Amino acid sequence: MDETALLALCNNLLDRARSGGADHAEAAAAWQRSIDTNLENGKVHTVQTTEETVFGVRVLVGQSLGFATANGVEPDTLGEAVGEALEQARVMPADPFNGLPDPLPTSQVADLFDERVTTVDVTETTRIAAELVDSVRSRDARVRIDSGSVSAACAACALASTTGVALTEADTAMQGYLFGMAVDGDDVASFDYDGDAARNVGDFAPLVRQAARRFTEKCVSGLGAGKGRSFNGSIVLSPEAVGEFLLPNLIAAITADAVRKGRSALADKLGERIAVPTFTLIDDGTRAAGMASSAFDREGIPTSRHVLVENGMLRSFLFNHYEARAAAGDARSTGHAVGSAAALPGIGPSHLELEAGDTADTDMTAGDGPCVFVGRFSGSSNPVTGDFSGVAKNGFLVENGDRRPIKETLIAGNLFEMLDRISAVSAERRLLGGTQLLPSLRVDGISVTAG
Amino acid sequence: MSRDSLQILEEALQRADGFVELRYHAKATRSVGVEKGKVERTQSRRRSGVGVRVFSDGGWGFASTGSLEAKAVSGAIDAARAAARASAGSRTAEVSALPETRLARGSFDLDGVDEVVARPLEEKIGMASRFEETMRQSSAAVQSASCSYNEIYEEKAIVTTDGAAASFRLVRPELRLQAIAEKDGQLSSGHESIGTTGGWECLFRAGSGDHFAEKAARTAVDLLAAKHPEGGRATVILAPSIVGLLVHEAIGHTVEADFVQAGSVAAGKLGQRVASELVTLCDSGLSEFYDGAGGTIPVDDEGVLTQRTTIIRDGELVSYLHNRESAALYGVEPTGNARAWEYSDQPLIRMRNTYLVPGTSTLEEMIAGTDDGYLLDGPRNGQADATGEFMFGVQEARRIRGGRLGELVRGVTIAGIAFDVLSTVDAVSDSFRWDLGSGYCGKGQPAKVDAGGPYIRCQALLGGEQ
Repeated sequence: MDETALLALCNNLLDRARSGGADHAEAAAAWQRSIDTNLENGKVHTVQTTEETVFGVRVLVGQSLGFATANGVEPDTLGEAVGEALEQARVMPADPFNGLPDPLPTSQVADLFDERVTTVDVTETTRIAAELVDSVRSRDARVRIDSGSVSAACAACALASTTGVALTEADTAMQGYLFGMAVDGDDVASFDYDGDAARNVGDFAPLVRQAARRFTEKCVSGLGAGKGRSFNGSIVLSPEAVGEFLLPNLIAAITADAVRKGRSALADKLGERIAVPTFTLIDDGTRAAGMASSAFDREGIPTSRHVLVENGMLRSFLFNHYEARAAAGDARSTGHAVGSAAALPGIGPSHLELEAGDTADTDMTAGDGPCVFVGRFSGSSNPVTGDFSGVAKNGFLVENGDRRPIKETLIAGNLFEMLDRISAVSAERRLLGGTQLLPSLRVDGISVTAG
Repeated sequence: MSRDSLQILEEALQRADGFVELRYHAKATRSVGVEKGKVERTQSRRRSGVGVRVFSDGGWGFASTGSLEAKAVSGAIDAARAAARASAGSRTAEVSALPETRLARGSFDLDGVDEVVARPLEEKIGMASRFEETMRQSSAAVQSASCSYNEIYEEKAIVTTDGAAASFRLVRPELRLQAIAEKDGQLSSGHESIGTTGGWECLFRAGSGDHFAEKAARTAVDLLAAKHPEGGRATVILAPSIVGLLVHEAIGHTVEADFVQAGSVAAGKLGQRVASELVTLCDSGLSEFYDGAGGTIPVDDEGVLTQRTTIIRDGELVSYLHNRESAALYGVEPTGNARAWEYSDQPLIRMRNTYLVPGTSTLEEMIAGTDDGYLLDGPRNGQADATGEFMFGVQEARRIRGGRLGELVRGVTIAGIAFDVLSTVDAVSDSFRWDLGSGYCGKGQPAKVDAGGPYIRCQALLGGEQ
């Protein structure tokens, strides 16, 4: 289904909503066709093809809101969904902050679409998947691939509203990942995974080969893991650990809804220092060829390069249209309405970047006393309080120039205190899955408990 | 359900060659969210279509269509067949054909569908609003509260060329409550969540919504004054919720046959002692002990009738969890663990309701017999590894000293190697509770699961301050 047809589908939904009694409405529609070759137990297992159109319709009756979503384009499906959204709006209490944004000019983001991806077939994804398996096996036979996938997808979306928004966008994606572990006799190492994604065929091939190499190295490096030791001191978070653990919790505390609902420990910190001066966090939904890039957000607001934390100072919360209306003062949407056509707009970042520091990768774990390198964090964190505790996965104890893999090692602390205890930021950054550009961070004053 | 769906699929199958599996799956979810006295949202979602699998020359192909029209289903069969050919060309087949097994035929509807789906939206909004208000009214220290109600209604029809022809409907309502308390700038939170497969009576079997709301608020307030624990190895009594998480995350995943084949820590251990002889562990598609377990399915997504599978009996590993293909590979009967989240997902080996079988001790005896330890309840989240190494966050950790319950501590995490921890079990209570009914398991796609058990006493590593 092309962008024109999707926009026509949205307008059809708007007509139905208006004739059903909606004062205002917004419709989002998305089409995707994808081909997937799945790996299981180190072999090609299933090849999969899917194609689907989904839509979501948001209606306002007075200032009461309803939302429904479904897949398919049959008239009955559209009618039922609009009817359901209207039924909700008629029983929901009025909320003065409900509303839909007016249209704003948007600029196309470069290189989100590659015509060549549209011609990739099941034979091609299967060939690449088989190559990944061979590449891992030839590097180290001890690595077992539990599962993995190589996929090619073409997608298009449209957004229209009764306030005049009428936008479309198309993109393509090639993705691949591997999940497994190294096994050497009775020694089973921790599982690990790696993968990458690109908007075009040319970029994807080298990226996914590098991911297979990293996957192999990570799996094998976990063999022979032994007992760590307990201390209070430094840890180094890998870019993956920063992206999967530190940033999601920080972002959760600076979304405007968390601030409004009393769920943010940073609610009164706007303009204040929340981190060390070397910490600068930017969200950039306009990055060319970015996997999280788009010209507009879920409500049609243009995306931008937006500074969230600058030299340790909290510069901005993330707003969608509703939260901007609900906030006191002159807040405006920052273009951070996120979510698919199949969900009400939420709030979140697009492409996060942490500024690089000046410490060489090799010096990140250097220093007095022991240090634990955390490849991944598997644990529990409370975004409200900032308390966290969990296991250092793909973890290493670095001490007196020696680096050895460890298991059953817990780290505990507080996320918000941690931001002020960052003692080194690496000069090298990694682009993770095409969606986050991050360095590694050394943090002091963390409780490390070895089993 | 469209009762026609089974008939349409059977007709489509008549024109198919070789092994073909067709699964019609319609899912309707409805959710309501209330926070700080305000109804934040309601939304509904419908997703339906047919997932098609073809097994040909040892290769699997999968395709899906969002339409139940005969032409669309036929097109999806062709696409799945082409995909199977591509797959077979790159694969050394371990199983060339699926052996005969007992496949389900008929209708297998579960209870509760009509009463949950038919209840007006206003009443569901009213229910969530009341529980949210209960939390805020419980204490002046509660500064914020939220309650979300979610229901998943599903219709399925599964047919295969080797004889399955089954359909069923089920509903799974869930309730999540969170209270946030504040004192002198310090925040703490309390969570409660319940979920079931069935109607209202099942959902509120363990207590009313107000009961859980008051409990969440009380936990948030009590945790304000709680201190962090000292890290280190400790004697712990795990409540059924934590036992459930342990047996699901740290044991259950390692015995999924696909993970075993890849080399999980359970590989090669069938017939070996892996836990204390007090430990018997099962996974069941049925709701054992009492109705309503959240992961209940009458028939799996390959058309296999579900059953109870004993994984560990008296400490000895006796079975893995299988789909039809892995069962053929291991020369055993399928256990009914093939599950797909939605029509466009292919079935994977997944758990259902996983539990530890009760023993003979009482909780009071277990506490009285513990000189120095912790009573842990309320999982916050959990992960485990191929090695069986696990990590769980714990909401409520209460100190035990000299056989008596003491103060609450906060920010507790437990970790360990699952088989090692289960080998240290020295007491198992005679009670039983399903306690993860609101849980979702992730394995590339979500699955609704439940887990539970009795209280158990064992040794584990506690994360804390150094």
